[in-house]
Amino acid sequence: MIPKEFSLEGKAAIVAGAGRSWLKTMASYLAEAGADIVLSSQDQKQMEEAAQEVKKWGRRTMAIPTDVTNCQQIEEMVATVISQWGKVDILVNSMDLQFAKPLLEVVEDEWHQVIATNLTAVFLCTKAVGRHMIESKRGKIVTISSVLAERGLPNSTAYCASKGGVGQFTKALALEWARQNIQVNAIGVGWASDEAHGEEAEPTDPLARYIPLRRLCRADDIGALLVYLASDASSYVTGQTYFVSGGVMAHG
Amino acid sequence: MLEKLALDGKVAVVTGGGGGLGTAISLALAQAGADIVVTDFRPEDGESTAAEVATLGRKAVFIAADVTQSQEVNSMMARAISQWGTVDILVNCAGVIRWGTRKPIWEITDQEWHRGIDTNVTGAFFCSRAVAKHMVGRKRGRIINIASGWGMRGMRDSFMYCTAKAGVITLTMSLALTLVRDGIRVNAIAPGLFRTWEPKERYDARAAFIPTGRVGDPREIGALVVYLASDASDYVTGEVFPIDGGTLASGSAPIGYAPLIPI
Repeated sequence: MIPKEFSLEGKAAIVAGAGRSWLKTMASYLAEAGADIVLSSQDQKQMEEAAQEVKKWGRRTMAIPTDVTNCQQIEEMVATVISQWGKVDILVNSMDLQFAKPLLEVVEDEWHQVIATNLTAVFLCTKAVGRHMIESKRGKIVTISSVLAERGLPNSTAYCASKGGVGQFTKALALEWARQNIQVNAIGVGWASDEAHGEEAEPTDPLARYIPLRRLCRADDIGALLVYLASDASSYVTGQTYFVSGGVMAHG
Repeated sequence: MLEKLALDGKVAVVTGGGGGLGTAISLALAQAGADIVVTDFRPEDGESTAAEVATLGRKAVFIAADVTQSQEVNSMMARAISQWGTVDILVNCAGVIRWGTRKPIWEITDQEWHRGIDTNVTGAFFCSRAVAKHMVGRKRGRIINIASGWGMRGMRDSFMYCTAKAGVITLTMSLALTLVRDGIRVNAIAPGLFRTWEPKERYDARAAFIPTGRVGDPREIGALVVYLASDASDYVTGEVFPIDGGTLASGSAPIGYAPLIPI
């Protein structure tokens, strides 16, 4: 039996950004658990696919094209959701800009772009939604992060800094909103495949060999955890990054 | 997709199953469909949990064992396997904490040290060792260790507890890497403060020191255990999932300290 605590029946969720092309799978899991879903990214194709999935589960869905680095567009998106559905219970920050270059070759604009998408957008979306969550004295914020929030990687200074920032943002805000019954958490994804049910990694690939589970992480691997962190079952969990890394985080 | 969370037909062994968290964990696993072997060194508490599980319509049995005694652990596990044919899930929940043992370190006896270390970490090793061969043979299995947030931070006068729980965390990681190719996943949950065996007033007094302002209810740990016991966590191994009302996120300043500094 699926434990009833995982239910998101009657909840309204915004999934902001469309990093890693996992939008469809994440929206589908949330809708299966019972949530209505607002899709909010600039990727029209991904939003259409995700909307189809949500409808399959018989849930309401709304696609609002949004540049999640643009404060005004985010405020308008949230205002639209509030005026049409009256509330937001869950925010999933799923923006993710991947970027790798030796530090000396990183130009200022690239640095700003990575920080803007991976960190500032989390701040902007969370602030816009959080205002309503504080009014209603409840809320769930889940940000899709990375093992690179906690581990280093050459040529990935900007990306690591942005995800490390997400980890600290999560801890600090969790404390700030702890007494308002809003839980703020993140999922630290391991080396990921863009496919929802991705192919097995080549066994000769040195990266895949490094991963104890010998395959890349798929969207499907985080679905149930996303539902858990979005549900009332996790109301004593806050300020955490739960890693889904195929064992990478366990070894030296 | 969420059907992967179901545990129908699975058998789980829960150590410390007579305690506050152990009871809640046993009931949560049973509600998700698992049959439960409750083990504890306290027969009355263990029997009572098994009886509660049975009211949910799942099979339940109590087998007495002291997790610090490897022979007792081995025979408990052998009995569980022979009786029900399999053990799919092991939850190492047996533990002991002594709050506020305010005495100088030089007065802590060998026996006190060993009791803390043996129950909290050696017990988890003994139980994992007792079931590992069976799980490896079936190429599947889930081990969930109940660690503690205090395995990652220090606590005054709690040498045995903190040291042992830190051991549980690295035991989790090492065991996960050791058994990963055999289809076994090993993870830990690090609870913060939960209402268990102490008087209510003592928990009430501590609530203000937890960011969420409340002490956890043991039932709140259930969903997380079910998730880690299920196929939904197939890509998760060697991880530690704290559930602590924000305690580990805090620790830089007193709870409620929130300075304002304009640019």
